[in-house]
Amino acid sequence: MHARDADIVIIGSGAGGGTVARELAPLRAEGVRIVVLEEGPKLRDEAFTGREVEMARQLYTDEGGFLTEDRAMTIAFGRAYGGSTVVYTGTSLTITAGTLARWNVPDVAFEDVRRRSLKYLGENHVHLLDQADLNDNNRLFADACRRLGYRVEQFPLNLNGCKGSGLCNLGCPNAAKMGTHRVQLPEAERQGVTVVTNCRVHRLEDRTVVATVREGGPGEPPAWEPGEYRVRAKVVVSAGGAIGSPALLLRSGMGDALPALGRYFTCHPALILVGQHAQPITNYYGHPKSFYCDQFAEDDGFLLETCMYFPFTTAKSLTGFGDDHARMLAAMDHLQMILVLAIDPPEAENRVMLGRGGETVVRYAFPEGVRRSLVQAMRASARIFFAAGAERVHAPAATPFFIEAADAARIDELIPFDGLRLGRTTISSAHPMGGCRMGASVSDSVTDGWGRVHGQPGLYVADASLFPRCAEINPYVTIMALADRVAEGVRQDWPALEARSS
Amino acid sequence: MVPLSAAQRAFLLTLAARIVPWSSHLGPDRRDALLALVGDTLATRPPAMQRQFGLFLDVLRWAPVLRYLRPFDRLDAPRQDAVLRWFQDCPLALVRSGFWGARTLVFLGCYGHPDAGAAIGYTPSKDGNAVLHARARR
Repeated sequence: MHARDADIVIIGSGAGGGTVARELAPLRAEGVRIVVLEEGPKLRDEAFTGREVEMARQLYTDEGGFLTEDRAMTIAFGRAYGGSTVVYTGTSLTITAGTLARWNVPDVAFEDVRRRSLKYLGENHVHLLDQADLNDNNRLFADACRRLGYRVEQFPLNLNGCKGSGLCNLGCPNAAKMGTHRVQLPEAERQGVTVVTNCRVHRLEDRTVVATVREGGPGEPPAWEPGEYRVRAKVVVSAGGAIGSPALLLRSGMGDALPALGRYFTCHPALILVGQHAQPITNYYGHPKSFYCDQFAEDDGFLLETCMYFPFTTAKSLTGFGDDHARMLAAMDHLQMILVLAIDPPEAENRVMLGRGGETVVRYAFPEGVRRSLVQAMRASARIFFAAGAERVHAPAATPFFIEAADAARIDELIPFDGLRLGRTTISSAHPMGGCRMGASVSDSVTDGWGRVHGQPGLYVADASLFPRCAEINPYVTIMALADRVAEGVRQDWPALEARSS
Repeated sequence: MVPLSAAQRAFLLTLAARIVPWSSHLGPDRRDALLALVGDTLATRPPAMQRQFGLFLDVLRWAPVLRYLRPFDRLDAPRQDAVLRWFQDCPLALVRSGFWGARTLVFLGCYGHPDAGAAIGYTPSKDGNAVLHARARR
C-alpha cells in the first residue's frame, strides 16, 4: 500500500472534475498540491481508431452498456482522461431559466449559472457549423420539422477543426472536440496539477482516498506506478458522474447520514429511431448532431435530436430480428436517425444504490408519463421521417415494427401506447443526473448550492449528480457551470479547511 | 476467458443464424471472432450475470421441448422464429430482457466486427467532410 499526501484530490476528470482541476490550478502557485484521479485511460491521438467495439471498450464503462437493475435500460458514460467529454457529440446548450426555476435550489441563481455557462461556451470554442458542413441526415430532419411546423434549432457545438468524421461518440479521431481532455485538463497540468489515469477510487475514509492504479491498463502510463494507494487530502471533490459519485459516497458509509444520497436519479431515457430512404443519403459523413426540436418539451415531455450511430449500436437499437432487421441494417447509407430524449421527473425511488457485493446498481422504474412521452416521440419522429421522404420507418412500439410510407396516415393507430414494452424495446441513456442533488435540507438533498456535502467539511461534489431534476437539455455545459461554482466555493473555504487540517 | 461452455457456444451460433441470417454463411474465422466478441464482453460482466446468460441460453434451447417435443436446434426455421418471437414478446419482462440480452450479444458478435461495416454500406472516413463536400459538388 502506497501512502500519498495531497491538499486537494479531485475524483474524475470529465466536465465536472476537469473544470474544477483547471479552476483550482492557480493554487499550485501557492504550493497547494492538487491531484486528479481518473478511472479511465489517457489515449494517444492515434489510438482513436473509430472502431466501434474497440473504442467502446476503452472509453466507456461496460462498453457503454451499463444495465439498470431490471435490465430495461442501458446507460452510457465515459471513463477516460476527460470523462464523458471525450465521447459526447459536443452539443453545447445552456440551461433555461424555466428549468433552473424548477430546480428551485436556494442560492443557485439563473444569472449566475448563465454567466458561468457563457464562459465555457467561449473557452470551448462553441459555434454553429457552416451550412456546407451539414449532411443529409441533418438537413432532412430540419426541413421536415419546418414543413410540419415543428420548432427546430441548430446545435451550437464545441469543435475546433472538425473534419466531420461522424465518430464523435467513439472519441474524435481528429482531436477536434473541445472536451476537458483538450482544454481544461492540459491547462491544469501545465500549472502543475497531477492527473493519475487508470486509477479506480474505492472509498473515502474521512478525507483519505483509497484507490488502485491499474497495472497494464490501456493508454499512456499513469503518473503513479500501479498499486494500491491511500491518499490523504484536506479537500476531496467527487466528480465521478451521477452514478460514480453517489456510489462512492455510499461505499464510504454516508448513506445513513444522507438519506437522499443516490436518490432522485434521472437520465433522459432515450430511443434511437430510424427511417429508411430509397436512395443513399449522407449520414455518417459530417457531424452527426446538428439540429434539435424542442416543440414537444413543454407539453409532451420529450426532445428530438439528429443522430447517427454505428453498426452494432444501430443493430441493437432496432427491435426485432431476422430478415427484416438485417435488410434495414444492410442499408446503413440509406438510414436517417433521430434520437428521442424523454424529460423524466425526479423520483426518490429511482436511485443509485449498492448491491449485496458492494457493486453499483441503478434502480429505475419508468414513470408512466415517460412511457407515454416515448410513444408520443415515436409518432412525432415517424411523421418527421415520412415528411423527409423516408419509404419506411422503424417504430419499436409498432406491430409490426416497420411502417411503410403508404401507412403514414395511420401512425397513431400503428404505434399504440401499450406497444412500448420494457425489455423488448431498446432504451438507452447517456445523460445520468442526480443522486447527490443540491438543496437546503439534508432530508432531501446531499449538498448545498455550492456542492458542499452536508455535514462533511472538506467534501464536495462537482458533476451531474448535483442536478436536483433533469436538465431538459444536453447537460455538459451546465455541469461545467456548476463545477465552476464548486471550485469557487473551494477557493473560498480553502483557508479555513487548511487551518483546520493543520 | 470465454465464460460459455462448448455446447452453449455452438447453440449461440445456431441462435445467431436466426437473429442475423447472414451469420450462417460466416467462415470459421469469422465465427470464432463472433464468439470471441461475445465472450470477451461477457467476461467483463459480473459472474452472476454471466451465469444468468448461460442459463438463459439453456432455457432458450430446451424450452421448445414443452411445445414441440424438440429442442430449439432441432426445429425448422419458422418454428425457431416463432419461439424467438414468443421470448421477445413474453408477458414476463424478465424473459423479454433475457432475450434482449441474447439478441444484443449476437448483434455485437456480428455487427461489432470491424469488417462488418463495409458489407452494409458503412464506410466512415476521418475526413468525412471531404466526402460530404465532394458529393455536394456532383
